[in-house]
Amino acid sequence: MIYRIRHLTRYSYEQPVSQCFNRAHLLPRNTASQRCLDSQIEVRPKTSWLREHRDYFGNRYCYFMLHEPHRQLELDITSRIDVDPGQPEIALDLGCSIREAHARLERAADEETLLAREFLLDSPMVRASKQLRDYAAPSFATDRTLLSAVRELTCRIYQDFTYDPEFSTIATPLHDVLSHRRGVCQDFAHLAIACLRALGFPARYISGYLETLPPPGQEKLVGADASHAWFSVYSPGDGWFEFDPTNNNMPAGQHIVTAWGRDYADVTPLQGIIFDGGSEQTLEVSVDVTRLPG
Amino acid sequence: MATNTLNPSPPPEPLLPYAPEQGRYDEAVGADNRIRPHWHYVLDALAQLGVDDLQSRQQKAQRILRDDGANYQMVGQPQNNRVWGLDPIPLLIDGEQWSGIEAGLSERAELFDLILRDLYGPRELIRHRILPPELILAHAGFLRACHGLSMPGEQQLILHAVDMVRGPDGQMQVVADRTQAPSGAGYALENRTVLSRVLPSLIRDSQVHRLAPFFHALRRKLNSLARNGGGMPRVVILTPGTYSETYFEHTYLANYLGYSLVQGGDLTVRDGFVWMKSLDGLHRVDVILRRVDDIWCDPVELRGDSRLGVLGLLEAVRAGNVVVANPLGSGVLENPALLKYLPRISEFFLGRPLALPSARTWWLGDPADRAHVLTHLPQLIIKPTNRRPGQHAVYGAQLDETALAQWRRELSRNPTQWVAQQANPPSTSPTLQNGELRPGPTVLRGFAVADEGSYSVMSGGLTRVASFAHQMVVSNQLGATSKDTWVLATEPHRMITLREQQPSLLTGEQSSDLPSRVVENLFWMGRYSERAESATRLLRTTFMQLNGASTLPESVRRQLLQSVTEVTGTQPGFGAQNPQAFENPETELLGIILDGGRFGTVCSNLLAMLSCTEEAREMLSADTHRVLSDLRDTLSDLPNQLQPGSLAAPEEALDPLITSLLALSGLSQESMIRGFGWRFLEMGRRLERALQTTLLLRALLVPVLDDDAEKQLLEAALMCGEVLVTYRRRYRSQPELCSALVLLLLDRSNPRSLQYQLDQLSQHLYELQGGAATSLLSEERRTLLEALTLLQLSRAEQLAELDEQGRRQPLDLLLSRLFERLSATATLIAEHYFVHQRRPHQLVNTRWGDEE
Repeated sequence: MIYRIRHLTRYSYEQPVSQCFNRAHLLPRNTASQRCLDSQIEVRPKTSWLREHRDYFGNRYCYFMLHEPHRQLELDITSRIDVDPGQPEIALDLGCSIREAHARLERAADEETLLAREFLLDSPMVRASKQLRDYAAPSFATDRTLLSAVRELTCRIYQDFTYDPEFSTIATPLHDVLSHRRGVCQDFAHLAIACLRALGFPARYISGYLETLPPPGQEKLVGADASHAWFSVYSPGDGWFEFDPTNNNMPAGQHIVTAWGRDYADVTPLQGIIFDGGSEQTLEVSVDVTRLPG
Repeated sequence: MATNTLNPSPPPEPLLPYAPEQGRYDEAVGADNRIRPHWHYVLDALAQLGVDDLQSRQQKAQRILRDDGANYQMVGQPQNNRVWGLDPIPLLIDGEQWSGIEAGLSERAELFDLILRDLYGPRELIRHRILPPELILAHAGFLRACHGLSMPGEQQLILHAVDMVRGPDGQMQVVADRTQAPSGAGYALENRTVLSRVLPSLIRDSQVHRLAPFFHALRRKLNSLARNGGGMPRVVILTPGTYSETYFEHTYLANYLGYSLVQGGDLTVRDGFVWMKSLDGLHRVDVILRRVDDIWCDPVELRGDSRLGVLGLLEAVRAGNVVVANPLGSGVLENPALLKYLPRISEFFLGRPLALPSARTWWLGDPADRAHVLTHLPQLIIKPTNRRPGQHAVYGAQLDETALAQWRRELSRNPTQWVAQQANPPSTSPTLQNGELRPGPTVLRGFAVADEGSYSVMSGGLTRVASFAHQMVVSNQLGATSKDTWVLATEPHRMITLREQQPSLLTGEQSSDLPSRVVENLFWMGRYSERAESATRLLRTTFMQLNGASTLPESVRRQLLQSVTEVTGTQPGFGAQNPQAFENPETELLGIILDGGRFGTVCSNLLAMLSCTEEAREMLSADTHRVLSDLRDTLSDLPNQLQPGSLAAPEEALDPLITSLLALSGLSQESMIRGFGWRFLEMGRRLERALQTTLLLRALLVPVLDDDAEKQLLEAALMCGEVLVTYRRRYRSQPELCSALVLLLLDRSNPRSLQYQLDQLSQHLYELQGGAATSLLSEERRTLLEALTLLQLSRAEQLAELDEQGRRQPLDLLLSRLFERLSATATLIAEHYFVHQRRPHQLVNTRWGDEE
């Protein structure tokens, strides 16, 4: 399936901004199951510097600078991505058991497992804690397979937590999310990652998009889609597997990956520093995920 | 060495009484209590000098260091520096032994360069299980944003420094590596320079290796890093600023190497390049030698709350448009846990064992190491894997049971963040303490610089000595002193020039070499020093009048005191709303001199001036620094000189201040290159002197009093303006307002007249705008021209007259208009020439959780 994704970000400032420096993690990367065919980047007003790079995790990002005064910044990125159709649910009783997983991580006989240990460590926004470990532990009996345990954890987060965009901001700490049982997709991904790390399993954060389908018989609204976030876990010897706690499923075919990292801080969609601009600024984001006739 | 041939069996006993500790390695005296051969000559010579002479040479050394402004640990106020401590007895290392150390240091630098390139590239060390992944990936110095950066040339690591101690077995071992922005090389050079002045013949006859080749290699390397050839590359030294504990060294190196010293705010990134902001615009920077730790270098990608960095620097490095040395990210190499793995890394990369061993180190992240450390804690030194300012190593032996238990808990809780090291007592070397030679625990910092395919090692280093033999911690922050380090040549025929190249203190200044911040500070240095001088002169005059032979009429007394408040701007002070101040003026007057925290006082103006001189210190000559040191001393002694209640002749206590201030202005006239720096210093002076003159004349001469009172105030004004004697000679009469006004305001031959200041200022602004080349007047020149015109159109006779209401309205009006126009000129100059820093803010807050 080929998708076209248009991601439009617009900042409006109270006062003119004299210069800004930005990094945008908004260009979809290639993965085993998707290939980015092309991307177009437009920045308004004109940049004095714009480069695409690859970061430490292999994600694409663009870096741009503006040195002309502006009251509005528009970043308009359109990409076409070819995504393999996934299998609805893979067999979760395959792969290594919890006990084996721990032993293999410790031994780390192969490079992939050795390097996956990076995702066991605390990261800027995700710190393992006893409370998180206690929350997750009931799903992780040592004999069952790691993947089935993670699937159960995903399901529990979906059931126990309320999706509530009013509750959290990007700075809401994880223990607040845990104690109030509310949050948005980033929070649920961070929560699952923290639980897994607390139990000794490598987990990483994935940012991307989810294709939403309109109710039967209705036209899809422009700009109705949104960025999305989920996570993946490393099962030693088996590889990385993705789970979406917000939708209680395993991404397959409709999830489009932009970037991954230890947590949101590694792959923030747009971050930067501005000079001036006054105290007020407004942010508008609109995303369209469209199927292209293949 | 003639002495050796004359006396083939040198004296076995030390001539100076010196008893090293039993059971500990001493650098000068062997276990058999015999002086080691390479120390004979020097100890002999020192014994002949005798302790008294040695002590006086030490004092001389300290005086030179103080005059050079050699400080360490600047805390808060610029008058509160600790002078760098230097022991007159050098550490001697014999040439043969040194060649082993040198080879070891060079190999170690090579190895660390390989590690650096690997960690930010293929990570073979992790993939091949030489290093546990957590050792690197959980270290705060591993900066993922720096992944894949590279610079031209064979090496990435430009400077490497190591701290070494000699253990009881006599073997040198490394206890720490410094790979961020290693400090100390400049202090080593300063130590050598000072010692060669206080012990010139000793150093000449001892065949000491020179330090200069190391700095030449550094310069050569930095210049070669510029990517785009053609013309001289612009290399700058990035300093955190005057509050940095090693700021002296930054300015010293900038001068010695001939590079501009910049702060983060002096640089800007545009179009992917780094530029230095100078008065005539932006100039591209090719290479940055940084003395700022990497995480503070770029708020866009590293610590977002840093105010020391340059926005976009990392992107400019990534694009290859600028080179930063040491590279950003190199802090990861300071992790002491690497010491444990270094032998294996050496085998892996170089295929041979490590030449220079490290102190035995355990990493708590390793389970077997952890078990060992937790059971042997009292014999170990605990160090964090990521060093933070103000954090010191902890000695297990110094901990009680409770503290040991606390440490065991902490070490188990965050194991990857700690290492433990074998606590070997460092060797001692003879050190002069209170007139005796005492064994001081000794740490040597060695330096290596990348140089054409390998590393050049400084033939010497920075030796630091703790003050008591039993103290194991050697740290400048804990009161350690330093020594010059003499590597003795083995081949006597080898040509060795002993004199170090003196740093060139007056570099041929070009406008584009100076960040505009430095120029702005010189401008303010001029202003504050004039402000201080004007206040001091008025206070001196006031004291003289108050304490004069005849009692002062009340109206004169009140007017004088009031003028002190008005001219210095130290409200409320003496004024109608504060009548009790007049009763006992001494307290208030002393406050106006001594209170450093109150705006407008002599002390606060001098402190402000001194802090400007710190910002511009690389622009000031050695003589200037000496005058500034004197000024600091006078200032700190002033409260003793001016004890309330015992004021016999307080004006005399102010004389040294005026002398120092005059010396400063003389120095700027006589020993500063006529570049932008000098011009702005002069402009600051002229502008401020003009402003102060208008304030003074308005306070003293405008009020209408009886004739005698006015004459006395006129005399005070002439005294402040330093023209009383001239007046008497010229007019041979009692002061009279009209003639006095001519002298103070309009006389072009009086260098303190208002006219003179405005003429000079006008000339500077004319030159700044390109001289005759431009016919358009800049805004500041137009404003100044208005002031000049007002002044020139005025007539002294008219100004001296009273109007119908009996007031001196014309004089009052002229002075207040002049003040207003001159203030406007000052503002316009600042707006035109100086960069005004605005603070950036983040679009999205990128600091999460409780990271530091």
